[in-house]
Amino acid sequence: MFRSRKKKQTRKDVHVAQLEAIVGPTEILYEKEDLLSYDCDGFTVHKAMPKAVVFPKNTEEVAAIVRYCSVHDLPFLARGAGTGLSGGAIPLNGEVIISLGKMRNLLSVDYENRQAVVQPGFVNLKLTNSISSKGYYYAPDPSSQYVCTIGGNVAENAGGAHCLKYGVTTNHILGLEVVLPNGEVIEISDGGIPDSPGYDLMGLLTGSEGTLGIVTKITVRILKNPQGKQTVLAYFDNVEDGSRAVSGIISAGIVPAALEMMDKTAIEGVEAGAYPVGHPKDIDALLLIEVDGIKAGIDEQIEEILAVCKSRNVREVKVAESEEERGKWWANRKTGFGAMGAISPDYLVQDGVIPRSKLPEVLKRISEISKESGLRIANIFHAGDGNLHPLILFDSRVPGETEKALEAGTACLKACADVGGSITGEHGVGIEKKEEMRFIFTDEELEAQTRIREVFNPDDLLNKGKLFPTPSRCMDVKKVVKDTVAAK
Amino acid sequence: MEIQDMPQASTAASSIFKDEKFGNDGAEVVAPESEADIADILRKANKDGKKVAIISGGTKRGYGGLKNDYDILLSLSQYKGVVEHTAGDMTVTVRPGTTIKELQDFLREFDQMASIDPAWPEQATIGGVIAANESGPKRMKYGSARDLVIGLRVVYPDGTVIRTGGKVVKNVAGYDMNKLFIGSMGTLGVITEITMKLRPLPKCESLVKLFVSKEQLQDLKTFVVKIQDSMIEPATLEMVNPALSKKLFNRDTYTLLAAFEDVENSVRYQEQWIKDNKPEGMAMDVSSETEATAFWNAFSKIAPNSLTDYESNRTRAVVKIGSKNMNVFEWLAEAETLQKANLLTIEMHGGLGHGITNAICTGVESEVKQAIVRLRYRAEDKKGYAIVKHLPYTLRHEIDVWGHKPAYFFLFEGIKKKNDPNNTLNHQRFVGGI
Repeated sequence: MFRSRKKKQTRKDVHVAQLEAIVGPTEILYEKEDLLSYDCDGFTVHKAMPKAVVFPKNTEEVAAIVRYCSVHDLPFLARGAGTGLSGGAIPLNGEVIISLGKMRNLLSVDYENRQAVVQPGFVNLKLTNSISSKGYYYAPDPSSQYVCTIGGNVAENAGGAHCLKYGVTTNHILGLEVVLPNGEVIEISDGGIPDSPGYDLMGLLTGSEGTLGIVTKITVRILKNPQGKQTVLAYFDNVEDGSRAVSGIISAGIVPAALEMMDKTAIEGVEAGAYPVGHPKDIDALLLIEVDGIKAGIDEQIEEILAVCKSRNVREVKVAESEEERGKWWANRKTGFGAMGAISPDYLVQDGVIPRSKLPEVLKRISEISKESGLRIANIFHAGDGNLHPLILFDSRVPGETEKALEAGTACLKACADVGGSITGEHGVGIEKKEEMRFIFTDEELEAQTRIREVFNPDDLLNKGKLFPTPSRCMDVKKVVKDTVAAK
Repeated sequence: MEIQDMPQASTAASSIFKDEKFGNDGAEVVAPESEADIADILRKANKDGKKVAIISGGTKRGYGGLKNDYDILLSLSQYKGVVEHTAGDMTVTVRPGTTIKELQDFLREFDQMASIDPAWPEQATIGGVIAANESGPKRMKYGSARDLVIGLRVVYPDGTVIRTGGKVVKNVAGYDMNKLFIGSMGTLGVITEITMKLRPLPKCESLVKLFVSKEQLQDLKTFVVKIQDSMIEPATLEMVNPALSKKLFNRDTYTLLAAFEDVENSVRYQEQWIKDNKPEGMAMDVSSETEATAFWNAFSKIAPNSLTDYESNRTRAVVKIGSKNMNVFEWLAEAETLQKANLLTIEMHGGLGHGITNAICTGVESEVKQAIVRLRYRAEDKKGYAIVKHLPYTLRHEIDVWGHKPAYFFLFEGIKKKNDPNNTLNHQRFVGGI
């Protein structure tokens, strides 16, 4: 034991030794075999090795690590549970990874003012579990909520099935403590007080994919559980009827808590997965609809939803009869991505968003893309807010199929962008969709964003190479001209 | 419904440029009717080193600003109207000069609404409301501008037109640049289009009022905690102090306004819940649907704005206090301490579900100034803030309407410098003289 430590020390480079001095010898990894599991996150197509992984225990240690990296020009990035689906935590430049996994405490809960303070490594679902005995919960519920961290949720502005009614992460963040890329610690909206005077830095940081600062403490809004909740499952013989039912429900003036859709291929996958429900195999689409709120008001909304479904040729529609049944339906939906593993060796999930009214048109286009690429595409998505998740099924052992899948993914995003949509609703850009940013933003618009990055992260040491496409020639030239003018 | 002495806004738009009481005026007034014209004006001003102030409805000239005159006053009042509305998508794209009322009237035809209830909907425009991040009591249920805006078009000082966000309700592509412009007081760019997500008009609404004597305040506080801990879902829980209750209801009591907006069964259930659970001896009144609408309309006009405040013998100020929800009770108590017969009146209302309190101070100048300083001292002591949303120009040189600069002010400066390096837009209008 002693011997192997000594051996390690002789191989350590000077930076690793200095970082170890900050966090202690048990809180750093730098041997190649230890670093392997940090070479990617939930986006597994691209891999790169970090220089080291450090596990700070508090804000001061994070700040000290950041200061050290900043002074010594070492690229660095923050990592939570590593569940991100767009590659935001992949160390493209041999970064020092600052894992926030050991800063995982619930610091305080203030029920009167409906807020809780957590460390970034605190797991999303644990917050709800910690406050549920008092009847409270934390609303953003990404499918990975049993393992993903709230720090990571802030970085990605994570969504979830219930954000149709309750909003995404940014709508639930009240305050942030942030370590800036130079090591300085700032507190924004300390105390979780709204409308802090000045530019909305909290809004900018949320969803900045770890490129503006490292969040070390988060004040979140907590909500009281709704008094009642009813869930409806509707089976359709064709996708178009299902899509029209979605529009019908929204047009009826109902704001469902969730409105999810799965197509035939997706249903095949979830039924072969760990949580089968027994959905009929020959249906074309299903809708999972949830309404919550005051009990007295729910029944009439459910009646209206049933009527809408019937008027759109639903084959069968039913209301969950028990909490168990409801739980079963949701487990089937929430494990949908992983379930694709049961019907395909590999899958790639995309995350486009479209105006709801374009749903039939875009689904048709996706099925064409499937035909063109020769790859099956399953659709599991948040139909209520137009957030599509095409799952492209492929086999990476077949030469050329991974590339084909990536191309099909890009084509799906293009289809979303073409109808005025977005390339990502909740998974983030990361490295995966960098180039696709050009589908929706002009050079000037991208430059407006990178200028903001320069304010926070002027040396671009923090999570470099993410979020923005490689600068086009035109922009490079412009920058040179600008710099020359400035120099004069 | 006893609404007394409600001030009426001047309808003569030209008059807003004539008086000097609120500053933020311009040597030259331009009212472009296209985005291209706006871009041309900015490009030229930016090149010529001219300073530009932005105005739209003209209700917020008393909100920040250390200049009496800018070179150019860019009015967006003529750049108005709905650009795009797809009812099925529940989104609308609108030009900045559209008044809140015009927007809501348009959407009502589709049983939809923009879920924002700022003051003076007939005069205030959506552009101004977004730029100043204005909100009303119902933000407790519906959130504020930052929760509703999904996309913007912005003209930068150099004339570049930038789109932020998009037209879809969920979007994480790139930085959330919408947030940068909401509440930035026009210091970073001119907003030329706003895309918002909409909500269906509630099928039923009602307003429950509880009239509370000073002696009953402690009971009320306990009751409010009980409401918050219950599963009922009020759209607002707004506390009103006696001075404002007097004006609104002709009663010398505190008043709790609890609004409910949902399907009818749910609204009736929640009214009944309040009735069954309220402390004994507390007077309760339930407004009908039409009364509730009329009440909120009147409520939106209680604060002075730069179109209505022409008084010369009394100073009027509106202070926005940000604090934790339950601190509202402390501000109510503070208002009682500060008020002085014939010298200072404070009409106050604060949201127990959203933490924003508004104090309308009216009186002799020295007392109004003292009240601002005192409220700010108390608010900052509790990690909150007190900013002055409405104050005559001369006093804005004596009192920093934005309060102390945060430790991270350098980031604000950095952002301003990147977007507007020549300080062309609304210079000195914002925090720390940005």
